[in-house]
Amino acid sequence: MMSTYIRVEFARHFRDGYNLIFALLLPAAMYILFGNIPSYTEFELGAGNVKFYLMISMAAYGAAVSTVAIAGTVATETMQGWGRQIALTKMPPAMFVSSKMIVAATVAGASAAVVFALGAATGAEVQEGWIWGASYLIILLGAMVFACYGIGVGMVFKSESALGLASGLMVFFAFFGNVFMPLEGGMLDAARFTPMYGYVALARYPLLKDMPAGVEMAPDALWIPTANLVAWALIFVLFAVLATRKAKARQ
Amino acid sequence: METLIRTNAVSLSGLKKTFSTPRSKVEAVKGIDLQIQTGQIVAFLGPNGAGKTTTVDMILGLTQPTGGSVEILGLDPRQAISAGRVSAVLQTGGLLRDMTVKETVSVIAHMHEQADRIGPVMERTGLDKIAKRRVGKCSGGEQQRIKFALALLPDPDVLILDEPTAGMDVMARRDFWATMREEATEGRTVIFATHYLEEAQNFAERTVLMSQGRIVADGATEELRKLISGRTVSASFPSAEHAERAGAFDNSVQVAERNGLRFAFHSVDSDRFAAALLADYQGYDLEISSPSLEEAFIQLTKDAS
Repeated sequence: MMSTYIRVEFARHFRDGYNLIFALLLPAAMYILFGNIPSYTEFELGAGNVKFYLMISMAAYGAAVSTVAIAGTVATETMQGWGRQIALTKMPPAMFVSSKMIVAATVAGASAAVVFALGAATGAEVQEGWIWGASYLIILLGAMVFACYGIGVGMVFKSESALGLASGLMVFFAFFGNVFMPLEGGMLDAARFTPMYGYVALARYPLLKDMPAGVEMAPDALWIPTANLVAWALIFVLFAVLATRKAKARQ
Repeated sequence: METLIRTNAVSLSGLKKTFSTPRSKVEAVKGIDLQIQTGQIVAFLGPNGAGKTTTVDMILGLTQPTGGSVEILGLDPRQAISAGRVSAVLQTGGLLRDMTVKETVSVIAHMHEQADRIGPVMERTGLDKIAKRRVGKCSGGEQQRIKFALALLPDPDVLILDEPTAGMDVMARRDFWATMREEATEGRTVIFATHYLEEAQNFAERTVLMSQGRIVADGATEELRKLISGRTVSASFPSAEHAERAGAFDNSVQVAERNGLRFAFHSVDSDRFAAALLADYQGYDLEISSPSLEEAFIQLTKDAS
């Protein structure tokens, strides 16, 4: 029963086009834009070059945003009565949520893969091959944390436009999470508490891990981004659970 | 053995639902006891806010009752749904606008593990002609038909319909009930909530009248109509004087309506009055009608409050 549902979900996304372009092409376009400024992108950085660093950033952003958008539809569709329709069948609600998560992970995976492929084709380099795989996996798994954020926002506002807002807010999180451009000083200190900081820092860790502390762009100790990601994961889960409970009680 | 014990299709006892917000408490359903035998066609009739939808939601297990219990064919709602023995046409929402008709039927069929029923059900509900259309582009009547098709997918023993013809025009409504009549055979129990008196009158053998969270009357639809005593007797007269004299026939006779020389009287003993009209008062073009369910409804809900 899940496979049919997933197939129809993909069909809907392909027909819709708009969301898919947003999820797949925007991060790729941003990588091309920022990743090919010749003045600095060829510089070495950690175990690779600046292009590799930017590739991770854009891929992480794209994966997280598509996860938010797709996971959010769990909430909006449930509140539009589709949840009640499903409740009249054999399929448990958990299977509905997991179908959506599989779709979200696939689209997030594809989005990150497009950016990685572009990176490979345009000169993103790293000395050790395993870093490609490790960064990609961290991006994909970390993106799932933002699913709960999407579900929570969807449950609170119950509308599709709210999901647009939730995705839009991700741009803000990305800026203040040190994703798009390196922050410094006070801004960087504040950034350590924002939701995307830990996620993207962990994704970059394989690349930057051997940089000596104190050097510009050197990574934080591993526990800082880990603590950030775990904390925000818990916050988002709590947010999603509370928002769902409140929305259902009012239904 | 099982055939000897006749299970109720739906059995509600002491069913209650209170919605509480920090500021107020709303008792949507104030204690309902109801037994519906298998194969019956029952209407829940009542104005908006009578508690019909809340009751339907509790029968389906979509809303947890504050008190009391629900059994469908001797099972609890969730079990009955999982076994595909009960299904419903819900009043609000329930469809995704960007799915096609075929996709919608297909995903729900797979959720019931009844993929082989997709074709036949779409054909019977006339959806095969609009299979590729997006749900959002379908008219209100077509969307109701989609929901009806979804409800038929598990081939349920008990079919519950919450305001199934809401948003349909007269033609679509007539078509819907025609299809419904075909589906109501084979011992299927049908329960529908409506505020159209006509639908209860035409389609239900039994009508449960609800008002303000309570059952105010319950019985054969025919009996319910008889609850209001008397008939309306209409006749034309050669002159107004004749009519006036007829109006003094007995204490119960009252002029309900006058249109030129045609008068409508309300009478308790309509047979005797009608005979007298023809024999003694020169009345002609006689018409006798029983009160509509609407009148019965107004009287009954008035009595209850």
